[in-house]
This record gives sequence, C-alpha cells and structure tokens, in this order.
Amino acid sequence: MAKLRALPAGEDQPDRWEAQLRKGALEMAALASLWQGRLYGLEIIRFLENHSRLVLAEGTIYPILNRLKSEGLLTSEWVEAEAGHPRKYYSLTEAGRRRLRLMAEAWTSFSNGLSKLLEPVLQGKVSPQ
Amino acid sequence: MTAEIQIESYLTTLRLHLGPVTLAEREEIVREIEAHVRDSAEESGATAETILARLGPAEELAAQYRDGLLISKASRSFSPLVLLRATLRLATKGLSGILVFFCGIFGYSFGGSLVLTALIKPILPANTGWWYNDGHLVSAGVLFPPPAPPAHEVLGMWYIPLALTSGSLLLLLTTFLIRTSLRVAQRLQSKL
Repeated sequence: MAKLRALPAGEDQPDRWEAQLRKGALEMAALASLWQGRLYGLEIIRFLENHSRLVLAEGTIYPILNRLKSEGLLTSEWVEAEAGHPRKYYSLTEAGRRRLRLMAEAWTSFSNGLSKLLEPVLQGKVSPQ
Repeated sequence: MTAEIQIESYLTTLRLHLGPVTLAEREEIVREIEAHVRDSAEESGATAETILARLGPAEELAAQYRDGLLISKASRSFSPLVLLRATLRLATKGLSGILVFFCGIFGYSFGGSLVLTALIKPILPANTGWWYNDGHLVSAGVLFPPPAPPAHEVLGMWYIPLALTSGSLLLLLTTFLIRTSLRVAQRLQSKL
C-alpha cells in the first residue's frame, strides 16, 4: 500500500495515464460499435460518445479503423447516400468478431480482478479518517 | 468559399504527409476524411474551422495513419527498405525498438556485404577472401591491394559458396527478426 502512495504525484501524470488508457481501449470500442451492424466513421464516433465516455479527438478513430481493416478485422464499402456524397461503411469480419469476443472476455476478467484490488482504495477515498 | 479553401488545404496537407501508401489508399483516406467533414457540417451546422479543429492537425492525423499502416504492412513484407523504415519508427517508441533497428542495420549490411563479395570473387579472385597469418584472421573482404605475405588467403574458391550461404542466412535471419518484432509490437499496440 505504501508503494501505491509513493507513485509519482506530478499533476500531469494521471492525465497522461488516463489518455493512454483511453487510447488502448479505443480499438476494442471501435470493434464493439460494429457488433450490431455496419456504420460509417461519424456514426462510430457518435456511437462511442453516446455509449462510452471515451471522448476522443475525432480524427483518431479513422487511422484505427484503417489499421483494423488492414489486419482483416473489418471490411469496408462505399455506399451512395442521399447526402450527395458516398460514405465508407465498416463491418466486422468473422476474424473481427472472434477477436472482439476474446478482447471482451480478457477485458472483463481483467477489470473484475482490478476492481477487487482497488476496492479498499476507493473505500478509503469515500470515508477519509 | 473560405470554408472550402480551409477544407481543401487541410486535405492537401493530409495527402502530403501520408507517406508511403499507394495512390489508391491515399485517395481513399482523403475521401473518407472529406466525407467526415461534409457529414459533420450537415449534422451540426458547425463551421469548417471547428470541424477541422476537432479532427486534430492534419500532420498528426497523417502520422497516426502512417504508424498503423507501416507497421502492419511491414510485418508482412520482405523488403529490407520497408522493414528498416518500420523499425526506425519503432525505434522512436522505446529502447527495444532501437535495439531491433541496430540489429537490422547490422544484419542487412553484414549479410549484404557477404553476398556481394561472393559475387565479386570470380571477378577479382586475388583480391577477395579470408587472409590468415599465424592462425589469426588478418583481413576479409575485397581488398586493394590484397594483404602481403606472409598473410595468405585460405578459402580459395570455397569463399563463394561459404559467403553466399552465410550471407543469405544472415539476411533471412534479420528479416525474420524484424518481422517478428514488428508483429509483437503490433500486438502490444492493439492490446490495452
């Protein structure tokens, strides 16, 4: 416990850590947003805004989608819209579904384990001496 | 009109900084970002300036594309140039990346010179080889002039198959090492 308190307390440290955490979770979140069906980039961004607190610089999602596609986890197709310009829709491939299921399992067991570990910390915060 | 110019200049900067992607990939990326800007404008009525600001600087966006694509493409490539470029990017991310980069440089240059000297041996037989003196290796490679006696060349024409095999093996090993490290880096990147 003493070790935990000894973590660097620089003002920018928790922010940076949190940013890394969000960034890491973003890829899984992008895959998860496509679980129910195909969406285009802006819809994925809005979906993530509504369903998670992964507030993101809107640009970051596109390179991630691009990479997931090059890894064969997503496919994409251009669809003509009434808007007057085509939109690029993404869907999960079979490999993408398998990967997401594995990620979801790993994430859940990881966060359950951590929650137990952090319980005393949070309780300590709720009831200070 | 100013909005159009702002968007165009953003897309041009993005296009310029995307780096080594195919023309088709580049146009697809730019087209998608353009669609994003148009859709965002229709959806919220926000100004081009706000929308572009929310996307982040074009150079940064391009860099994110490059990072993702280069590493995932390179882990399937056999081209030393592509592989070294990807490790160079990896080298900016940490110590193990730097190590892989230098192993790559060493492996490719040493392996490459072995193969090259094997090819030169038939042309310059007297200048190419391994020279020994008193049981110690004095010199190796292609030398002008060759080391003077008592140093003597020991391999003769055997130099060709030996240098060719060891050079090729070293090149293959280097390629394998880089591709494996890129895969590992990719996996680490895609996990939390």
